[in-house]
Amino acid sequence: MSTATLVKTSYREAVRAAIREAMKRDNRVFLMGEDVGEYGGCYAVSMGLLEEFGPERIRDTPLSESAFVGAGIGAALGGMRPIVEVMTVNFSLLALDQILNTAATLLHMSGGQFNVPIVIRMATGAGRQLAAQHSHSLEGWYAHIPGIKVLAPGTVEDARGMLWPALQDPDPVLIFENAALYNMEAEMPGEFKDFDISKAKIRRAGSDLSLISYGGSLGKTLAAAEELAKVGISAEVLDLRSLRPLDTETIMDSVRRTNRAVIVDEGWRTGSLAAEVMASIMEQAFYDLDAPVGRVCSEEVPIPYAKHMEEAAIPQIPKIVAAAKEVLNAHV
Amino acid sequence: MIADTQNFKPFNPDPIAVLSQSGDWIAPFALTLDDETLKTIYKHMLAARLLDERFIKLQRSGKMSFVAPHSGHEAPQVAAAHAISKGTDWLFPYYRDYAMTLALGQSVLEILAQTTGSRLDTAKARQMPMHPGSKTLNIFTGASAIASHIPPAVGTAISMKIRETGQAVLTSFGDGATSEGDFHAAINYAGAKGAPIVFLCENNRLAISVDFNKQTGSETIAIKAKAYGMPGYLVDGMDVLACYYVLKECVENARAGLGPSLVEAQVMRFGAHSSADDDTVYRSKEELELMRQRDPILRMRRFLEKQGLWSDKAEEKFIKETQLAFQTALDTLAEAEKVPLEWMFDDVYAELLPHLAQQKKEFLG
Ligand SMILES: Cc1ncc(C[n+]2csc(CCOP(=O)(O)OP(=O)(O)O)c2C)c(N)n1
Repeated sequence: MSTATLVKTSYREAVRAAIREAMKRDNRVFLMGEDVGEYGGCYAVSMGLLEEFGPERIRDTPLSESAFVGAGIGAALGGMRPIVEVMTVNFSLLALDQILNTAATLLHMSGGQFNVPIVIRMATGAGRQLAAQHSHSLEGWYAHIPGIKVLAPGTVEDARGMLWPALQDPDPVLIFENAALYNMEAEMPGEFKDFDISKAKIRRAGSDLSLISYGGSLGKTLAAAEELAKVGISAEVLDLRSLRPLDTETIMDSVRRTNRAVIVDEGWRTGSLAAEVMASIMEQAFYDLDAPVGRVCSEEVPIPYAKHMEEAAIPQIPKIVAAAKEVLNAHV
Repeated sequence: MIADTQNFKPFNPDPIAVLSQSGDWIAPFALTLDDETLKTIYKHMLAARLLDERFIKLQRSGKMSFVAPHSGHEAPQVAAAHAISKGTDWLFPYYRDYAMTLALGQSVLEILAQTTGSRLDTAKARQMPMHPGSKTLNIFTGASAIASHIPPAVGTAISMKIRETGQAVLTSFGDGATSEGDFHAAINYAGAKGAPIVFLCENNRLAISVDFNKQTGSETIAIKAKAYGMPGYLVDGMDVLACYYVLKECVENARAGLGPSLVEAQVMRFGAHSSADDDTVYRSKEELELMRQRDPILRMRRFLEKQGLWSDKAEEKFIKETQLAFQTALDTLAEAEKVPLEWMFDDVYAELLPHLAQQKKEFLG
């Protein structure tokens, strides 16, 4: 890629560009969800797309997650390539049966006859002072489900690049966009080719420990690595990108070099994605570890409303720094 | 008494109104409310309007994270509060219902403490604004997922019936909410059980930006009641007294064992959907101005003035008193300390379980 074509782009614009590109490349692709049309989506992702593609391809639906996610599954069966936007993961719970019992199982239970090539995008995460029922981080929970793939773009580049390969996938793919990231900006190339969505990526190289994160916590983890560098600690930052399947190869490769790891995950600690990554490390790299693996998760409470409480309930830079230091001070 | 005088017919094609735009009594039955009640109803609407304006200011200055303005919805909300029996019946409101909870008796201090996340908040700064709740007033704490409060409302009503408590439930929601499965599942159950509940749809013909015509192929929401085996009434939602009489009759029918009803109040949303919304994207200024001419507060004020019950002076005095009450509450809140962080670990369960006690300890370092 030549630097001459780099354009400053926000995460929101990147998702929009990805949708626009997919709509142009494949006329089976369409977007549907609540307020995606005239209004441009509750996070303004689809702004302007209605004018460009018309109301059948940028489709406002009635207020029923179960109806439009289920209809998306049906559209995929009918030969379309739907992108379904659920406003937030919190409301995806009203479509959980369609996602878990239909999309995730149909191929298997039909003996391989019915593929469900649907992409379901949704915002996730806390940080907007909207209290528990608007602030869940359930992507790790979805990653528990066989039959669906789960992506978590944590950079502008991934927001731009992940959609098209997800649409090419014959299986249902869930894309989690952390709501705190929509305004994040980066310099972006105009074109994307052969974008791999299956691999974790090292976002910062380091040798003392591996900080493993994804999505909304990635930026905080990178900032924590920066803090650690100031006190002479070299932290590697690994971005999982795909939460299901997990790229355990890249995870183990990093942990085998650094011998220590901390997982940063906005989900609740018990039964979290962090727990799964820790268990995998235990299974595959136990003898390479110099210390027990640490984790920074959300406090196991419904996310509270008051700003200072909300901030204290979810992973923050000082907590990550402290956990890293603890793992470094521990010896087996 | 009231039921005898009105006997509203369900599935009426034109919305029920008892006041004309100019504030004349146009009902075929006699007014039964006394002067004090009429004035109180008006004051509740006006106070709610002022509260809405105050909310917006507080949101803009960063003291509240979110507002869903209720201006234009005051009539059915205040009517509902007057139609039910305070502290006996139960209310399952939705997020745009502060005129309802204010009229039911939630204090300004309690409302502002909750919406600003104060230490004085009964919900302990955990619940977001626009989600009122009160155990003492039997107000179910608001739910963020649209329509998800309706099944619990029905469950409470069924339990009232089984236990023969003589209470009733009123639950409210927007037109968009009627597209959710929870609405249909719940109202169907209520119909099957003959539950003592009133379903109040505040139909402003918008769900954020989505027009009513995209929401349903049905001409009205009220007509849906037919399929669930209960009466459905269409009411002019800008006429507070029409809302009152219809809701009152429905609540009394529920209490009398006559089962549930569905009331569709045709309202207008004067403000944006919420503080996160720019409504100029999907509607024009002219449209809004036309709506405002039908302001429910103006109509009731004209009526009161014609009865000699209200004046410019009374209006001015009441506004002053209300603003002062807001300011006094805000001053009290400004003096309160911040909510201690460790409060977040309480009430996850009835008791602090060992794993949470451990996490709390680690959290406090
Ligand atoms: C299950 C669910 N889906 C989506 C949302 C986001 N949302 C909040 S309010 C709203 C529109 C509701 O419209 P309506 O029921 O007509 O009530 P109104 O806001 O117009 O009073 C939407 C889509 C939500 N809160 N819950």
